[in-house]
Amino acid sequence: MSDLIATDNLLNEAQKAIFEALVDTLVPAGEDELMPSASEVDVLSYIVDSAPDFAPQLAAIVDSFNDEFVSSGEERRVQLVQEFEQAQPELFGGLLFHTYARYYQDARVLEGIGLTAGPPFPRGNTVEAGDLSLLDPVMEKSHGYRKVAGVSSDLR
Amino acid sequence: MSDNSISEGPVDVLIIGAGASGAAVAWSLADTRMKIVCLEQGDWMNPTDYATNKTDWEVHQYSKLNIDPNVRGLETDYPINNDESPINVVNFNGVGGSTILYAAHFPRLHPSDFKVKTLDGVAADWPISYDTLEPYFAQNDRMMGVSGLAGDPMYPPKQPPLPPIPLGLVGETVARGYNKLGWHWWPSDSAIISQPYEGRDKCLNLGPCMTGCSQGGKSSTDITYWPEAIRMGVELRTRCRVREVTVNESGMADGVIYYDADGNEVHQKAEVVVMACNGVGTPRILLNSTSEQFPNGLANSSGMVGKNLMFHPVGFAQGRFEEHLDSHKGPQGCCILSKEFYETDESRGYVRGYNMQITRGTGPFSTALQGYASGTIPWGPGHHDAFQKQFDHVAAIGILCEDLPEEHNTVTLDPELVDSDGIPSPKINYTMSENSRKMLEHGLARAEEALRAAGAVEVTSGGPVQAAGWHLLGTARMGDDPATSVVNNWGRSHDVKNLFIVDGSIFVTSGGLNPTSTIQALALYIADTMKKNLANLFD
Repeated sequence: MSDLIATDNLLNEAQKAIFEALVDTLVPAGEDELMPSASEVDVLSYIVDSAPDFAPQLAAIVDSFNDEFVSSGEERRVQLVQEFEQAQPELFGGLLFHTYARYYQDARVLEGIGLTAGPPFPRGNTVEAGDLSLLDPVMEKSHGYRKVAGVSSDLR
Repeated sequence: MSDNSISEGPVDVLIIGAGASGAAVAWSLADTRMKIVCLEQGDWMNPTDYATNKTDWEVHQYSKLNIDPNVRGLETDYPINNDESPINVVNFNGVGGSTILYAAHFPRLHPSDFKVKTLDGVAADWPISYDTLEPYFAQNDRMMGVSGLAGDPMYPPKQPPLPPIPLGLVGETVARGYNKLGWHWWPSDSAIISQPYEGRDKCLNLGPCMTGCSQGGKSSTDITYWPEAIRMGVELRTRCRVREVTVNESGMADGVIYYDADGNEVHQKAEVVVMACNGVGTPRILLNSTSEQFPNGLANSSGMVGKNLMFHPVGFAQGRFEEHLDSHKGPQGCCILSKEFYETDESRGYVRGYNMQITRGTGPFSTALQGYASGTIPWGPGHHDAFQKQFDHVAAIGILCEDLPEEHNTVTLDPELVDSDGIPSPKINYTMSENSRKMLEHGLARAEEALRAAGAVEVTSGGPVQAAGWHLLGTARMGDDPATSVVNNWGRSHDVKNLFIVDGSIFVTSGGLNPTSTIQALALYIADTMKKNLANLFD
C-alpha cells in the first residue's frame, strides 16, 4: 500500500466538498470576478504537496463541520467558521496560513491585485529615487549630534 | 577530549564564526600572511536557494529561511531556550552569519553612545571612543559597500561610498510627515549597493531582504569580505561546530575542539583564538570551556561572561494611506530614519533614546496574514476590500530602543537542551526594564504621530516584537577593569592573553540602533591593533 498522501485518499468526496466550502468562506470570489475564490486555486493540492506536516490534520478540520455547512448560506457559514476559529485556534490558524499562502501566489490572484506573477528575481522592481530637496528643512534646523568632551570628531 | 579525537597541527590564528565580525577580522589579519583558519558551523549559501527565486517566495520566511533558529530548525542551527524571555533570539548560521538574513540597515553608533556614564550617569563608558573607530567605520563601509548620503547633522562628517538607495513613495511620504513636525530624518545608511560596486550588480528592489538576496545587492559577508580573505590565503572550514576552547597548563588557549560534518571530534591547535560567534554563541562556548584552571568558564574571572545581555526592544507603528505607495517594492528594512528622539531628555521619563527606522511594506501573502493578526484585514466577505485598501498603501516606523546593561539579563547553558552534537544550548533569561518599556511606549506614540502627520488614515502599533532579538550584545563586555569586564580595550581577554573576542558580546552599552556596522568596525580595529602588537601580542 502506498504511504503517499494524495488528495485522492486524504479526504473523501463529502469531506472535499466541505473543505472547498470552508476555504471559499475564508476567501470568497471577488464581486468584480477578477479575484477567484480559494477553492478555484486548488488549496487542497497545495497543502498536500507543500505542507505534508499539516495535511493529515485536514480530516479533523473538515469533520468539525457537517454536510449542512456546504448548503448553508454565506452568513451561516461565516458564523460556523467563527465558532471553529474560537474553538480550534491552532487548526484554524494553520488552515488560514496555507490558504493565504496558496492564494497569494496564484497568477490570477496576483494579476488581479496588479502584480506580475512569478518570482521577484530577476525581474526586480523600479523604485523612484525620491526628492532629496525634502531634506532642506532638516538642514535648516539646528539639529546636531550630542557633543562629547575630549573627542576630536566634535571639533570638526 | 575523547580518545578518538583527531588532532590537527597548529595554526597561527583560529577564528570561530564566519559572520559579520569573523569575516572582517579574517580579512584584516590576512595580510600578515599568518596561517589563519576560520571554523563555521553552517554552510556556504547558494543564491539560487534564496526565496525571491521562487514562486512561493513569501512562504520561505516562515520556514527554512525564518529568522528564528528554533523555527528554522536546520541541521546547522542550535536550539535556544527563550522560555524566560519576552524576546526570542534570532540569527543565522552559515558563511555570512546573520548578515545573510539581516535587513542591512547600517547606522553607526553615535559619539555619545560610547560615553553613556559620563553623559547620563547610567551604565558605563566604553574604554574607546567614536574617534577610535572612525577610520574602521569608513574602511568597513568601503569593504561592505554602503549606500547613504553625506551631511547628516546627527553625525560627525562621513562619506558613504555609494549614493542612497531610493526613497520611493514610502520614504517621501513619511519624510513629509517629519517635515511637518519639524523632526529630523535622513536617508538610511544601508549595506545595500545602489550602484554596481566591486564586481557586484546593484540592488533590484526585490523587497524581502530578510530572506537572503538573490541578486547579491545586499552586502552579506559571504560576498564581501570572504572572497577577498580566501584569495589572500585564509582557510574557511564549514560544518565545523566548536564545543570548547582548550587551554594548556599555562592557562593560555591552545586550540578548540569541534565536530566536523561527519561528527568526528577534532582538536584544532592554535596560537591565537578569536571568538566571533555573536553575543549568544560566544558566551555559550566560553561557559562550556571549563577546566581546573577555569572552573566557571574561560575568560570569566569577572563573572561577566554571559551577563548584561542587551537586545534592542523593537515595536512598530504602521500607517495606512489612501494613496498608493508601492509599499512592497524596495529594500524592506532600509529607507529613511529619524534620530529626533535618540538622545536623553529626562522630561520624557526615561534615559537614553531610540532610532525610528522607516520600513516598507510586505508582499501580498504577508499583508493578508499580518492583516488578520492585527485585525485590519478579515477573512470572509470583507477580505478583498480590506486587502486592497491595505496592500501597497502602508508605511511603517520601527522603534528600536537602547537597552541598558543589567546583570540579571543572561546567557547561560541550558541544563537539558543540547544541539545535534550534544553541546549544551544557550538559555536566555531576560526581563525588559522599566526604562526600556517607557522608551518604547514613547516611541510608538511618536511614530503614530509621525504617520498621522504624513497623512495616514489609520494607524496601528505594537511592541515589543517577540521574534526580534537580532542584536545580541554585551555578554563579554570590554573595559579597563578586569573585575568588571571580560576583554580589554582592544578585545583581548583579561584572563587569557591569546584569546580575543570581536563580536557584539564586547559592547559596553547598546546604543539605540542596528549594531552591525559598529560590530564590524570593532573587529577591524581589534585586528589592526593585533597587527600593530604582533611582536608582543601576549604581554
